[in-house]
Amino acid sequence: MQAELELPTAATLPLLVAPPPVRGIETFFYDNKIVRDFGIATVIWGIIGMLVGVLAAFQLARPEVNLGNAYTTFGRIRPLHTNAVIFAFVGNGIFTGVYYSLQRLCKARMFSDVLSKIHFWGWQLIIVSAVISLPLGLTTSKEYAELEWPIDIAITVVWVVFGWNMFGTIARRRERHLYVGIWFYIATFLTVAVLHIVNSAALPVSFMKSYSAYAGVQDALVQWWYGHNAVAFFLTTPYLGLMYYFLPKAAERPVYSYRLSIIHFWSLIFIYIWAGPHHLLYTALPDWAQSLGVAFSIMLIAPSWGGMINGLLTLRGAWDRVRTEPVLKFFVVAITAYGMATFEGPMLALKNVNALAHFTDWIVAHVHVGALGWNGFLTFGMLYWLWPRLYKTPLHSTKLANTHFWLGTFGILFYAIPMYWSGFTQGLMWKQFNSEGMLQYPNFLETVLQLVPMYYLRGIGGVLYLSGVFLMMFNLYKTAKSGVLLVNEKAEAPALLPAAEDPHATGGHWHRWLERRPFQLAVGATVAILIGGVIEMVPMFLVESNVPTIASVKPYTSLELQGRDLYIKEGCSNCHTQMVRPFRSETERYGEYSKAGEFVYDRPFLWGSKRTGPDLHRLGGKYPHSWHYNHMMDPTSMSPGSIMPPYPWLLDNEIDYTDLPAKIRVLQQLGTPYPAGYDQQAVADAQQQAKGIVAELKKEDIDVKSDKEIVALIAYLQRLGTDIKVKPEQAATSAEAAAAQ
Amino acid sequence: MGLLTAASLLLSGMAKAQAPEAAAPAKAAGMNEQELLFWVLLGLLGVLLLVLLSVGITIVVQMKPQLRLLYNLPTVHGTWSGKVLGLLVGDATLVRGEYRDELLDHDYDGIHEFDNDLPPWWKYGFYFTIVFAFVYVGYYHLTTKGQLQVAEYETEMRQAALLVSAGSDDPTKLTTYLALTTAADLSSGKSIYATNCAPCHGASAEGKVGPNLTDDYWLHGGEVNQVYKTIKFGIPSKGMVAWKGKLSGKQILQVTSYALSLQGSLPANAKPPQGEKEAVGKPVAGL
Repeated sequence: MQAELELPTAATLPLLVAPPPVRGIETFFYDNKIVRDFGIATVIWGIIGMLVGVLAAFQLARPEVNLGNAYTTFGRIRPLHTNAVIFAFVGNGIFTGVYYSLQRLCKARMFSDVLSKIHFWGWQLIIVSAVISLPLGLTTSKEYAELEWPIDIAITVVWVVFGWNMFGTIARRRERHLYVGIWFYIATFLTVAVLHIVNSAALPVSFMKSYSAYAGVQDALVQWWYGHNAVAFFLTTPYLGLMYYFLPKAAERPVYSYRLSIIHFWSLIFIYIWAGPHHLLYTALPDWAQSLGVAFSIMLIAPSWGGMINGLLTLRGAWDRVRTEPVLKFFVVAITAYGMATFEGPMLALKNVNALAHFTDWIVAHVHVGALGWNGFLTFGMLYWLWPRLYKTPLHSTKLANTHFWLGTFGILFYAIPMYWSGFTQGLMWKQFNSEGMLQYPNFLETVLQLVPMYYLRGIGGVLYLSGVFLMMFNLYKTAKSGVLLVNEKAEAPALLPAAEDPHATGGHWHRWLERRPFQLAVGATVAILIGGVIEMVPMFLVESNVPTIASVKPYTSLELQGRDLYIKEGCSNCHTQMVRPFRSETERYGEYSKAGEFVYDRPFLWGSKRTGPDLHRLGGKYPHSWHYNHMMDPTSMSPGSIMPPYPWLLDNEIDYTDLPAKIRVLQQLGTPYPAGYDQQAVADAQQQAKGIVAELKKEDIDVKSDKEIVALIAYLQRLGTDIKVKPEQAATSAEAAAAQ
Repeated sequence: MGLLTAASLLLSGMAKAQAPEAAAPAKAAGMNEQELLFWVLLGLLGVLLLVLLSVGITIVVQMKPQLRLLYNLPTVHGTWSGKVLGLLVGDATLVRGEYRDELLDHDYDGIHEFDNDLPPWWKYGFYFTIVFAFVYVGYYHLTTKGQLQVAEYETEMRQAALLVSAGSDDPTKLTTYLALTTAADLSSGKSIYATNCAPCHGASAEGKVGPNLTDDYWLHGGEVNQVYKTIKFGIPSKGMVAWKGKLSGKQILQVTSYALSLQGSLPANAKPPQGEKEAVGKPVAGL
């Protein structure tokens, strides 16, 4: 076994027979402090993000946990949880691992300590601005891209700093070839940059408000191209890169197959980018784009599993150590969770599975297997491995780390199993018809209340998982206390020879050519990730037949627009979809299925991805204004037992008309056909419409001033999905009149 | 050759056998003789194939040592048919791949790399998913067989329409029901009311968002069939939900009857009257 680990001898490798030229040995120092700083940030943000997650989990079980104020309601807390966990916890985790491994794989210190510092503090500031702005309701509502435009620009700047530092280090490397881990880092950097810039394109209205550059179906396609690939290139590829470094280091075993690395790297990044439309199956997205999403999702199984295989087979010969070494335990569960989630994903992308699973807790279970298992456990394993090396002292307690492992594992099970159960239950209840051909559960609330016990259990799973992280924090703290941070770690390596004199600079496997050329590798990766996006998005924008026009669909009135922005601010789309899918069970429940042409003025689109409450796309005209008024004040008054939090502040807050003219102008610029000069009439127009609603409410003995937010929200909710109903409703009214005579 | 002979022998034997036993029941089951003959033949062919398969498996199992020797011959080992033979004798490396574990001259901070083969199960799995993807897109977009979502929906609705009797949805015609009066119907009506109607009309029908149902005033008629119609089709312009599709016809009549039974019950916090006074709406159900 030991023999395998020895360097190949000249006899086994004829390429090396010629004695290598003598190279001067250089001494340099790795920057460990930046690694430690990112590591601490990972732990702290992890705890915060997961705490917010636990809060959100219990809010679904008990509405009181929304704490009775606007800032902590589920609609605002859920994006905070997702952003904190993805960009703060996993983001800092990526940087911890990249800053440690990149230096060692390049045999060079990070390119610039100043850039490292700017990167670190810039990233933390962005997170802090998210922690402030999201509870304030400053959000674009686009999932995992909720942050408003000034923060988006800051993210772009800091991301460029990271790239600059990374490529600078690569340029100064003392290692001729780039290791597979670095390929993944490069692909991550480039793709995230492309995704972020394209999806965040928006026109600002004011300092913290903007409208998406895309509308309706197109916005949905861009958003889920982004959303899906945020999973791919923020939660998957950088972590695969980390796995390729930390797993063989911790297992002290060679990587299973170099060839497999090449095939699965290129196929993964090429295929992943196409799969976004599988988030929009059975929606108003054109069929061809949906089918591409499904086909590429299925082809994604093997490339994803290539990483799993290369991880698990690298552990051959080290399985005995998995029993005793918590780092390896964490890695094994992480890779297994990765394998399960990346098989489940393509299965969920099949139309018939998706018809049942989409909008339910099944998806929530699926992403948490990935996030808690793959990202969480890989991060924990990495930190347990790093800390003793950064502080030059053994881990404070292996026993505690083992306890963390078991708490975390049970936490995942307690989280995932109830959510799968809940997802199946929900999906089946929505679709169930009775023998008389009617919905078995016509009252949506009935399907929700069925899930509440599962929501409690899921919350308990989250608490278990989080308590493990607290143990880790304590363990790492004690480890740090008992050692001294090795701020600058001394290393020696020969300088790179000029390519002409270096025998390593030519030949080898064809892919070695690319590994010697970071620029060409980066260009290749960029081409690979652009193809899918371009082929899906360009026709969607240019070919008109993709979004058939509906003549009766008109832009929102200025009051409805204000109401819509409140809908966005309160994060309603976190629980309510606006997408009636073409299923009998949905058209029976909600009304006509949603058409692409209905969303042409929706900036951003608000289709949602989770149906905790009922779909709202055909809500307009379903209930009287007074129903909405009472329901927003106290949902349980109209739906006894409802788990929706109350929104009493909408009854007190005044509508903010300051930005309205600017909003109209921005929308005009983006192509919404408001008449010229409408920006100046918009406020008066809104006030006029508000008066009408107030008069209606008055008839029901509800006294409300016309400048309250609730009025704008009612205006929007009553408009929802009514444009195509114009004709049938008139028909019904005339039928009624006929019957009365 | 052997297989063909065996099959023809069996077929001829069967043809003789089926004549007496099959003729009578075939008529009863509504099948004609030819159809029955076809299924019997097909069944027997299936049995035959199973027998052959088990014979084949037995042979392979019995001869495994000899087959393995054959498989190990260098001239056989690498060939296509040799690989089939390898699968038969259970050579796991054909599925899993061979761990040659030859180190490359790669050394990245002490990390070395083997250059093992792509595991065949993974590689062929990848090929399979690629073929699947093309067939999938072709099935939906190049053939007329695959139903895209709107076609699928229309089919679903057509099938559902077969379950519902025609004309029952005509809102222009009034039904001719009488209010239900049995205790069982009224108590079902009461529980339907509590779940679905109480949020808007109040727990005692005193009226909240929706009108008071206990007074003599009606917005859309207080006769049992008029109330039935209002509940069934709703008044979308005024926020009354259509309960058709959510409640069955019987349930709607039950809740209608229950609501009418509350006439004159004078609940607390009653909402002021709305609509026309109508004596005809008086307690039909109580009569």
